[in-house]
Amino acid sequence: MSDLLPYLIGGLANGALYGLLALGFVLVYRATSVVNFAIGEFLLVGAYLTYTFALFLPLPLAILAALPLAFLFGILVEGGFVRPLLGRNVVAVIMATIGLAAALDGGVQLLWGPDLKYLTGSLPDLGFQAGSVFVSSRAVWNLLLALPLGLGLLWLLRRSKYGILVRAISEREVAALALGIPTARILAGVWGVSALLATLAGALLAVASGVGHNLVFFGMKVFPVAILGGLDSVGGALLAGFLLGVLEAVSQRYLEPILPGFTEALPFLVVLLVLLVRPYGLLGERQIERV
Amino acid sequence: MKRREFLRKVGVGSMVALGMPYIALAQARPVKLATLLPLTGPFAFAGNAGREGFVDGVDYVNEVLGGIGGRKLELIVEDTGYDVAKGTAAFNRVLSRERPDELLFVYGDSTGLSKALAPEIARLGLPYSATSFANELADPKTYPTIFVFGPTYNDMMEALLRQIRLEKARARIALVYSNTEFGRDPIPYVKERAKALGMEVVHEEVTPPAFTDATPVVLNLRRANPDYVILQGYALSVEPLILRTAREQGLQARFMGTYYSAELALIQRAGPAAEGFTVTYHNAYWYDTLVPAVDEMRKFRQRKGRDTSYRPTYYMGSLAVALAVAEAMRRAAAAGKLTRAGVVEYLEKLGDYNGLGLQRSYQFVNHRLPYTKLYRASVREGRFNAITDWIKLA
Repeated sequence: MSDLLPYLIGGLANGALYGLLALGFVLVYRATSVVNFAIGEFLLVGAYLTYTFALFLPLPLAILAALPLAFLFGILVEGGFVRPLLGRNVVAVIMATIGLAAALDGGVQLLWGPDLKYLTGSLPDLGFQAGSVFVSSRAVWNLLLALPLGLGLLWLLRRSKYGILVRAISEREVAALALGIPTARILAGVWGVSALLATLAGALLAVASGVGHNLVFFGMKVFPVAILGGLDSVGGALLAGFLLGVLEAVSQRYLEPILPGFTEALPFLVVLLVLLVRPYGLLGERQIERV
Repeated sequence: MKRREFLRKVGVGSMVALGMPYIALAQARPVKLATLLPLTGPFAFAGNAGREGFVDGVDYVNEVLGGIGGRKLELIVEDTGYDVAKGTAAFNRVLSRERPDELLFVYGDSTGLSKALAPEIARLGLPYSATSFANELADPKTYPTIFVFGPTYNDMMEALLRQIRLEKARARIALVYSNTEFGRDPIPYVKERAKALGMEVVHEEVTPPAFTDATPVVLNLRRANPDYVILQGYALSVEPLILRTAREQGLQARFMGTYYSAELALIQRAGPAAEGFTVTYHNAYWYDTLVPAVDEMRKFRQRKGRDTSYRPTYYMGSLAVALAVAEAMRRAAAAGKLTRAGVVEYLEKLGDYNGLGLQRSYQFVNHRLPYTKLYRASVREGRFNAITDWIKLA
């Protein structure tokens, strides 16, 4: 077991980021029924924003400075790309987010260049030795930030006035409008929060591995995580993130030596298997249509 | 009137006759060198530096060496994104657009792209080289027009294994490589050769070419407890991450890499974890000021108003190729053989060209240049220092 423990810690650390990113994805889907294919690019833009601020500020401040800008970015995306297409064919909206992903990809390369960049400065070192296991600073920060944030958002959605309004809009938007709920403002806020979460995930990733286009591939993992947890379940997104992180870690330990490259395919395989048994994901709501 | 008209015509005709050579020179068709480089994607850092090396090399040939037999050498640049499909499309685009008597050399990227294009290149008789040092490409019987401007990855591994044998008998070796052609190319050779040299390959780790967390890789390595870890197939996309994580997790092994890991940026990004990282490298570094090419290019760049601060290894490698190819073209032109076949012929005879010291030699052996040195990273000095003289690998 002590042999497996370092892998599990690394897996939980990765899972925390998966959960954070999936949280943002699921929030948007739940509120607006839009599948945001640009979530990986949100993460990338967030990481580059952090990189830019880190040229002038200590890294912790750079991350804090990037977050409100990311929130604003999410609001702008919602207002510019998504809101004009709401009510139209769902394929049109999906294509818009795919197009947005490509545009953000190209825009990031134009603005910051294609080279891999590294964040100047670092977060305070919180790594520690626990017996024979070294817990890296990266793992501690990931868990320290992602877990409270995720649980906090979950609580907000369930208990706060804003969360209730979001849930009301996602259930019946027309009725919410009729009741005078400012749906446009609230939905813009949801996109802002999604971009903010993606930025935090991107910044934490970039601290270890640098800022480059490869971050988008991390963003691709949001799809199996969100589907596994249930596309409309915020709690499910968090749970699935940690679960996949741990499963990847176990695969790295036991299966990778025998089947090199298997771990990359694992999230998708797990999703396939779970959906066979639970078609709406682990905590997703069963959809019943009355005809 | 008739006389005036006659004199006017004679005057115009004389001026045209005097001006003809200049008009002809201005209209002399250029010689073209096409480069297909990863300007975007995971190896954009290398690709962009490589492009700069070609730009400088071509400009130097035109402005200082007078071009190719009176003709201008023109550079074509296309982006492959380190993607075989995109690279193949770029290759086809260039070929369909350019005249065969003008496009006399193509420089590609990636082992995957080069292997995919190799049969077509052989069919076209097109002189070709690439950023790849794959063993399969150094095969004049199968690919008579493909040249590898350096040792192959097998050769590089041979140099590393010889060094390991010198340092430790019966060493335990781990191999960490990317799941690309670039990463996989020398692995069968390394495994066989390590065994022959009395070493044990205790672990193999296959990864994507870029990733964000090296912890599982390093934990697996720690369990295998190797003396040496050889990295292959990354070009700085993850080596710093692996080295830092290895240091963090207390992995004691000595790390080694090949040509594309021999860049100063690795030391800058990995920090103290880079200490002792051993690499193969067969060009000059920008700080090797005793090398004539370095001094010459500094002055040239200064004259052109270009930045003379440190130029990466990928720049140096591309510069070496550009100058050597141009020299072969110049010799072919002097012999009246400036064709694709002529360029191939004179590349094969380039052994006496010194390339201003950018490489040990341009004497091809099976269409590769089997010489390299080993360098070791010094964090205190912030550079790689040679730990061997030139090693001949064939």
